[in-house]
Amino acid sequence: MSATEAMRPYLDKIQTRGLLAGIVGLIACGVGFMVDHDQFWRSYLLGYVYWFCLAVGSLGLLMLHHMVGGQWGVAIRRGLEAGTRTIPLMFVLLLPMLFLGSHSLYEWTHAEVVAKDPVLQHKSVYLNLPGVIARAVVYFAIWILLATLLNKYSQEQETAGYWAVRPKLQKVSAPGIVLYGLAVTFAVVDWVMSLEPHWFSTVYGAMFLVGQGLVTFAFMIVLMRHLTDQEPLKDQDKVNNFHDLGTLMFAFTMLWAYISFSQFLIIWSANLPEEITWYIRRLNGGWGYMAAALLIFHFIVPFLLLLQRRVKRKKAWVGMVAAWMLVMRLVDLAWVILPAFSHSEGQMPQPHLNLHWLNLAAPVAIGGIWIWYFMMQLKKRSLEPLQVS
Amino acid sequence: MADHLETRNSTTTLAGPEPVLAPGHTYATVTDKIAAVPLEVGWPRFWIVGFTISALIFGMLLMTILWLLGKGIGVWGPNNPVGWGFDIINFVWWIGIGHAGTLISAILLLLRQQWRMSISRFAEAMTLFAVACAFLYPTFHTGRPWLAYWLLPYPNTMAMWPQPRSPLLWDVFAVSTYATISLVFWYVGLIPDLASMRDRAKSRFAQVIYGILALGWRGSAQHWNHYEIASLILAGLSTPLVLSVHTVVSFDFAVGLIPGWHATIFPPYFVAGAIYSGFAMVLTLAIPMRAWYGMQDFITMKHIDNMCKVMLGTGLIVAYGYAMEAFMAWYSGNLWEMFMFKNRTTGPYGWSYWSLIIFNVLIPQVLWLKKARQNIPLVFVLSLVINVGMWLERFVIIVTSLHRDFLPASWGMYYPTKYDWSMYLGSIGLFLTLMYLFVRFLPSISIFEVRTLIPRASKGGAH
Amino acid sequence: MPRKPLYGLMAEFSTPEELVQAAHRTHEEGYRKFDAFSPIPIEELHHAMHLKDSPLPKFVITAGILGCLGMFGFLYWISAIDYPLNVGGRPLYSWPSFIPVTYEITVLSAGLTTVASLLLLCGFPMPYHPVFNVPRFKLASRDKFFLCIEAEDPKFDLQRTKEFLASLRPYEVSEVEI
Repeated sequence: MSATEAMRPYLDKIQTRGLLAGIVGLIACGVGFMVDHDQFWRSYLLGYVYWFCLAVGSLGLLMLHHMVGGQWGVAIRRGLEAGTRTIPLMFVLLLPMLFLGSHSLYEWTHAEVVAKDPVLQHKSVYLNLPGVIARAVVYFAIWILLATLLNKYSQEQETAGYWAVRPKLQKVSAPGIVLYGLAVTFAVVDWVMSLEPHWFSTVYGAMFLVGQGLVTFAFMIVLMRHLTDQEPLKDQDKVNNFHDLGTLMFAFTMLWAYISFSQFLIIWSANLPEEITWYIRRLNGGWGYMAAALLIFHFIVPFLLLLQRRVKRKKAWVGMVAAWMLVMRLVDLAWVILPAFSHSEGQMPQPHLNLHWLNLAAPVAIGGIWIWYFMMQLKKRSLEPLQVS
Repeated sequence: MADHLETRNSTTTLAGPEPVLAPGHTYATVTDKIAAVPLEVGWPRFWIVGFTISALIFGMLLMTILWLLGKGIGVWGPNNPVGWGFDIINFVWWIGIGHAGTLISAILLLLRQQWRMSISRFAEAMTLFAVACAFLYPTFHTGRPWLAYWLLPYPNTMAMWPQPRSPLLWDVFAVSTYATISLVFWYVGLIPDLASMRDRAKSRFAQVIYGILALGWRGSAQHWNHYEIASLILAGLSTPLVLSVHTVVSFDFAVGLIPGWHATIFPPYFVAGAIYSGFAMVLTLAIPMRAWYGMQDFITMKHIDNMCKVMLGTGLIVAYGYAMEAFMAWYSGNLWEMFMFKNRTTGPYGWSYWSLIIFNVLIPQVLWLKKARQNIPLVFVLSLVINVGMWLERFVIIVTSLHRDFLPASWGMYYPTKYDWSMYLGSIGLFLTLMYLFVRFLPSISIFEVRTLIPRASKGGAH
Repeated sequence: MPRKPLYGLMAEFSTPEELVQAAHRTHEEGYRKFDAFSPIPIEELHHAMHLKDSPLPKFVITAGILGCLGMFGFLYWISAIDYPLNVGGRPLYSWPSFIPVTYEITVLSAGLTTVASLLLLCGFPMPYHPVFNVPRFKLASRDKFFLCIEAEDPKFDLQRTKEFLASLRPYEVSEVEI
């Protein structure tokens, strides 16, 4: 009947591979958990945040598409919608981390540290475990509610016609994107920024929002690139779609560089003790090489490639750059998250680069499960894009 | 089945996209109607009255500047804790207003948004004039504007170079680049239309002037070939440029240490604020203009609606910025950050913070309603409210952060003098004077771009 | 009767489609020195006339790279070598502070090169051109479409070219005087 039916074997294959990678990763993580309890949770956080950005980023881009329209969104909408339906899975995966892992991750859960630190006492109204858990429930309630409504109306759109349902989708998306942005901001403050509880940056939430958009565009391009190689969707293999998606990925790459650099320049120039430590940890003791790698491979190389029209107009090339960006997003998150743990105590933080193998195993484990669940969701609906008619 | 198809079609016409050009136009009518404003409409009464008033206000600016040059910048209000007063507030306000022009013509061109075509010319002119007004303030704040060239790096007898670690030098480069690129972008966009004006002008004098300005444009396929790619590149360059300019303006504050200035969110939040105020100014100007010159066919309700939505969106980003500032001031646990925020909201300038929230955040939420976006007088009033709100934002950032910093012994108050006010109002006079001249002598809507909105018989052509 | 030298022959059309068709036929017929004039950019003409891609982007990218490297090097030179000054304990080679100005100059040099190349490639300013001698050519900037075959084209023959242009069903064919 539909493209979904015809492609079922192909999608099943990817789904099985995802599950397999997930199981292998989980076994590795289990071993890791036995060996190094703290390291396990730190790597888990990295993997979790990466795939969380992809799931919730799908919601953000979907709402953006409903508001501004554009052929790019029509092309990747099925993928985005499947992505939004994986948000409940991300909620389930968050719970063990908050309930079991928080002591390994967050300094502010250590009562004896807080007792000695007036700043942490001041923050304890906000940074306390019941509060973080309660807020997580609120964030996920918002995202899941939005995802459910958008998926429901999208289903209606199949039968009732594009223009008839569009106003409904817009009415959800416009306030939805505001709620989504606020929820993501506070979520990353709770889960990631509070790893270094003295440090703060007002642009932090925006940096994650842009990163989410970027990783989601990259993933959807890779997905489209492979799906349009398969028979029934071959006619969807439109050069313009890839060109537009490539341009958007390019724009988000630039936005990422813009926000990252301006935050760095502001903090570097002011050189205030409570702020600059964040960069001291991330630019010394080996982490500096990672920062340089980010500058070159997360910005300069994709910038120069995507600047060229002919790269954006070739599916295989855009797909390759996108796959590359998927890797670089993980490197960027690793650079943002991991140095928080890798410094010795003392007056001046002495960072040292420690790249534990679990930092790879945990993202693979969570990613495998996520891909498996994502493919399950993708198969549930039609794969042919809903035409604007 | 047929029944089903029919309902589908009717919904399409009912709820489908509204036109960005009123139906029934041809290449000829578009050209004639837009070119008629400078060529045939001449000197209508509303133009003469409006121009005279603007020119008088501009005269007040010139007198203020004369007084300022004679007496020195002590006639302004800035004092020791508040070393930057109205001059930087107005500078940032004007630069911000300019941003919508570049945004409309560049970013929307890249995003293939057709509705931009009929407002881009006008908005770009607004950019130029706003940047000209902005230039006034730092130039005269130097005290000796005839030595303003000292800001540029050139080999000199003092054997000194400007300081590239200072954001003020970044500002010199950012604003001059912005002014230059906006000017050439605007002029390049005008060339095909200047040719239309040359070919349609009746008087020899007008023919010669427009002819010189059109540079010999013939609309040849070779010309278009280079022209299209040049426009695209200029748009591609202007888009990151416009972001960088307000970013650099925000660095003027954020790179420093003063609580209330030193915030990492400043760059994106300044850019969003700039676009917010810029779109408000486009509406403030476009609404009367389309009514006076009968341009409703080109600047349709669709345009007004879209601009309102952009304002709503950017306004929400700005509100997000305020929220982050407030939250992080508390979350930081930093004594000075917390005091800054407390002083900002409940100190002697608390009124300015709360009016800012009312003007910039609360009132514009009316734009969620479609009815409000379709109500032209209301949109006009809202655009003025947002302009005032964005001015207040700069006032709050600059005055409330400076007047009470780390040392209570150096606290003080800032009171603008009458020269501050006359310089501010006078710059509005300069801006409006230039706008009136622009509308009178140049096509204020891009003729050739609006021509491309006319549907063609077959897009495929002969391949 | 001695005739003024001719620049070429010009045919007038009323729709872009006719112009594209005509340009296509003219190229097929073997003419190479001809040009089409229109009040709007017509993408299909690029194909029909076998125009080369504009070299403009190459100039722009070169200028941008030169501006970028040049300005960064200059800032390094003035702050670390020629005029070393300690500002708030920042290093002399404060590369993060050099980025904004370098960026602006990159955009400025690329932008000015775009405009300069546009003028150069189009041969502007060019206040006089023979095609302006055709009275109805004024409409090329309003709503009419023109095609001009130059007399310099080796295939050009007044009589035969005129007949060929007439076969394209134009509104009118006129001689373009120099």
